[in-house]
Amino acid sequence: MRFIRLSSLFVMACAVSAVAKAESDPQQVLHGAVDEVLAIAYDGKASAQPLSERVRPVLEKYFNFESITRRAVGPGWRQFKPEQQQRATVLFTELVIRTYADRFEVGDRPGITYAAPVQLAPGRRELPTTIDYAGKKYAVAYRMELVGGNWRIYDVIIEGVSMIANYRAQFDALSQQGGPDAVIHSLEQNLKQVAAK
Amino acid sequence: MKSRFFLVSLLLLASAAFLPDAPAQNAPREVDPALADEMDEYAVIQVYDPLEKFNRGVFKFNDTVYNHVLRPVSRGYQRVVPAPARHGLSNFFSNLRFPIRFVSELLQGKFGRAGREAERFYVNTVAGLGGFIRISDDVPALANLPSEDLGQTFGVWGFHRGPYLVLPLLGPGTVRDAVGGVGDYFLNPMHWDPFKEVEGHRWYWDTALQTTDTVNSIPELLGIYDAERKAALDPYVGVRSAYIQYRDAAVKQ
Repeated sequence: MRFIRLSSLFVMACAVSAVAKAESDPQQVLHGAVDEVLAIAYDGKASAQPLSERVRPVLEKYFNFESITRRAVGPGWRQFKPEQQQRATVLFTELVIRTYADRFEVGDRPGITYAAPVQLAPGRRELPTTIDYAGKKYAVAYRMELVGGNWRIYDVIIEGVSMIANYRAQFDALSQQGGPDAVIHSLEQNLKQVAAK
Repeated sequence: MKSRFFLVSLLLLASAAFLPDAPAQNAPREVDPALADEMDEYAVIQVYDPLEKFNRGVFKFNDTVYNHVLRPVSRGYQRVVPAPARHGLSNFFSNLRFPIRFVSELLQGKFGRAGREAERFYVNTVAGLGGFIRISDDVPALANLPSEDLGQTFGVWGFHRGPYLVLPLLGPGTVRDAVGGVGDYFLNPMHWDPFKEVEGHRWYWDTALQTTDTVNSIPELLGIYDAERKAALDPYVGVRSAYIQYRDAAVKQ
């Protein structure tokens, strides 16, 4: 009996420390994510798999694609049926991963410096970074949110251009004209066109 | 000739200043309170685009030119000129545009930054071989100065962006930035008259310099454009949104 109580205490302590660790520092999480992606993108090994496929597991771990899609679609999201929401999320995830992988080019490995995070709201932070790439510097900020004890990325802002806001401008027009079907259709079209290239 | 140019730009400037604010194109829709919190952070920026039909035509034209003219030029140039030389040239031309940044900073009342800008120009010109090497990056206080121009200055003064404009070859812009661009042209030492009166000056020097500047900047610009275009569902809206966000952020800096 005593043993059970003790061990349950131990389990609880472990759980608490795990949560505390995850909640402690979004910057550490981002640092880990960036390092993992760079390690894959610049491992120097030739691979038959496209980069987008190789970075997918890492991105799926650190990006919150459900909330990215919901935010990108915006108010029109409420008109989506659950299966449409699921379909849109799958398609948009694919588009974001491919777009992200496309940004890496062979050659120079980018240098990254991290600045102090800014609190946007409780559980939401903006983490500014500077990327030194091919002799130029770019301001890239990551927005992260605390979901179930984990910090996850929900927006990337490159030189003031937010990925979410950029897609919101396009999705808004589409869903006003043709509802959820128009959004899903245009995503399918884009992925087809990109795959053909 | 020159005074006429100024007159035109002044007129344009005046008309830009008196433009009405963009009318709200869509009445704001009701937002689900459950979603409101995360949605309002990303309210769509209303872009005043009364010339959309015309702009879309020019956008299509530009796209064709970029693909069939600029892309081959860019590829050939990248093959012939090695990356370090391209970076050096890019640094050189950027250093040369110092007056645009300096004057804009003074006009915005950012005197501290103007001082650092002057310091950076001095360091790069003297120690960086006329600007080819950006020595200033080694000085923390001079490493991350945001770029300024007259279009941003008008923004800081509170002028409205004016209608969105896609210009042939030059690409996206707004009336405010186009007027600023005319001013920037005259602040660029490449276009200053005294240089033309130096003995032995030839007209083709200007052309060569201008062409080098333009061609050298193409690969990077094309890279940005391609990334934006490929990822977009409606490339016209995607590029427009990116341009407006980019310029709004620059004005705030």
